[in-house]
Amino acid sequence: MLLPLIAGLLVFAVYPSIYVLALSFTKSTLGQPFKSWIGWGNYRWLTIGGDDIFAPSLLRAALFSLGVALVELWLGLWLASLLASLKRSGRLARSIMLLPLMTPPVLVGVAWKLLLAPGGGLVNGKLLAWGLIDAPVSFLGAQPWAMLSIMVADAWQWTPFVAILAYAALRQVPDDIVEAALLDGASDSVIFWRILLPLTAPLLLTIFILRLIMAFKTFDLLYILTFGGPGASTNMAGFTIWRTALRDFDVGTAAAQTVLFAIFVSVVVLPLLWLHRSLEERAS
Amino acid sequence: MTPTAIADWNRYADKHRKLWRVVRVPLTGAAAAGWPIAMRILSLLAFGLYLGFFLLPIAFLVALTFKTRDEVLLGRFLTGKPTLENWWKAFEFIDLTGFIGHSLLIAAASAILTLIVATPATYAVTRLRHGEFAGSLALSSYIAPPIVALLPLFFLMRVFGLLNSFAGMILVYGFMNAPVAYWLLRGFIEKIPAALDEAAWIDGSGFFNTFRKITLPLLAPGMVATGLISLILSYNEFLFASLFAQDEAVRGLTVAISLFQGDRFVNFGQMAVASLAGILPIYLIALLFQNRLVGGLTAGGVK
Repeated sequence: MLLPLIAGLLVFAVYPSIYVLALSFTKSTLGQPFKSWIGWGNYRWLTIGGDDIFAPSLLRAALFSLGVALVELWLGLWLASLLASLKRSGRLARSIMLLPLMTPPVLVGVAWKLLLAPGGGLVNGKLLAWGLIDAPVSFLGAQPWAMLSIMVADAWQWTPFVAILAYAALRQVPDDIVEAALLDGASDSVIFWRILLPLTAPLLLTIFILRLIMAFKTFDLLYILTFGGPGASTNMAGFTIWRTALRDFDVGTAAAQTVLFAIFVSVVVLPLLWLHRSLEERAS
Repeated sequence: MTPTAIADWNRYADKHRKLWRVVRVPLTGAAAAGWPIAMRILSLLAFGLYLGFFLLPIAFLVALTFKTRDEVLLGRFLTGKPTLENWWKAFEFIDLTGFIGHSLLIAAASAILTLIVATPATYAVTRLRHGEFAGSLALSSYIAPPIVALLPLFFLMRVFGLLNSFAGMILVYGFMNAPVAYWLLRGFIEKIPAALDEAAWIDGSGFFNTFRKITLPLLAPGMVATGLISLILSYNEFLFASLFAQDEAVRGLTVAISLFQGDRFVNFGQMAVASLAGILPIYLIALLFQNRLVGGLTAGGVK
């Protein structure tokens, strides 16, 4: 019964890891992998420094991921508690919220690119019409707008996902606990901060970790919206690796960057997973 | 109503719900006691704004499809003289139906493959406590960014001649989504009482037979949800497709759109038509199966 999954994992998880690790010690191109072994050559920037592309893009990926995951958790939790208080209109709201989540990220990028375009975009058109700006703003061509635009598009797509999960988490809190607190005269904010939040903390942390992991994978939005620009200012690690491999054709260096990226993601995510485990143990 | 009154009312409601359809007063959120009416209205307003924010990009795409090139540049939402030209021109410029068809074919076949790979394995791990290392490996492989697998799979597929083929893409997506499916199915399997399996075992049914006759029928709704989510994930995927399936004969929608939007001769209206046409199949699935999908999403994340 396990065989297909294990075969799949061997091909899709074990083999790539080993292959990339081996590749990172070689000089390789797309046409000719494993041209020659060069030892630590691809990691050299680690020791001598002088890398102004990859290291910043790692940091940017981390800031972006933590940023969007936090904002989406906050907005999603708020949406979820509103959703819990709506009754009949809640169904319609839920249907609408499903749509961003289902939209292919490439098309999310296209939609936001058209909305934000300097000529013909709705945002610029309205801002000009209301007299808030004198000339169109190039949202995707200037910082900090470019980064913010990517974050807005990401939040558009994934906040509903967080809201749906957070809604399910909130509903797991037994009603009688809340009722008891209400009978004792607890206010709404006390109920939220002292009862709902602590009881759902492990689940909310799960949602946060899930979003964090997914945000580290962001590629499509970047590809469509800014292609890493202006300059290299919205390059994030995954996209930098892609560029190194498929634009500069330096597969060896890309492999080394991939290894470092994977380690980096684990270093960020693992402590959260440990925290999650200890929270769950304390709860049970 | 005071909190005490609400609690009393709800107790009454619980008792008589079946007979009289008495409605409970929700205790959490905006409707909880102590919220002034003004705050409730404000929060509903904010909610409305937020829904507007969700609809805005899609609504703008719809509006764009009816605009000529000159109308687009005005940056307005609505147009005075709508045209349908973009619709037939977009379908003329690129083979939209073909690309959407490729995407759907690959996504549907890979979703079935995902289920075939993940269902028995999930059952083995969660019920039979067999091969738990495979389970944790599946979960941890989800943490790794897909870019890790991009180059190794590219070289592997080139060796086997699977680049630019339907079989290659179906295999890639089928296995790519197996960890997610494992995660989702685990939630569904844990909801089926283990006593059912045990009863069957005691009556002399083998492990495989029990799985086929007892678990599979009960798991069907969960499998539908998992299959749909896998289908959508494959349909939406771009990174692997952009390297493994560039050829027009297998090119899927996301790659086609990414190439289309880089084209200088394309105007916004046609771009919007192509995007909407690409989103449509997924939205239809989402609306038809929304309860299944929500159940599937929450089964994995929140147990």
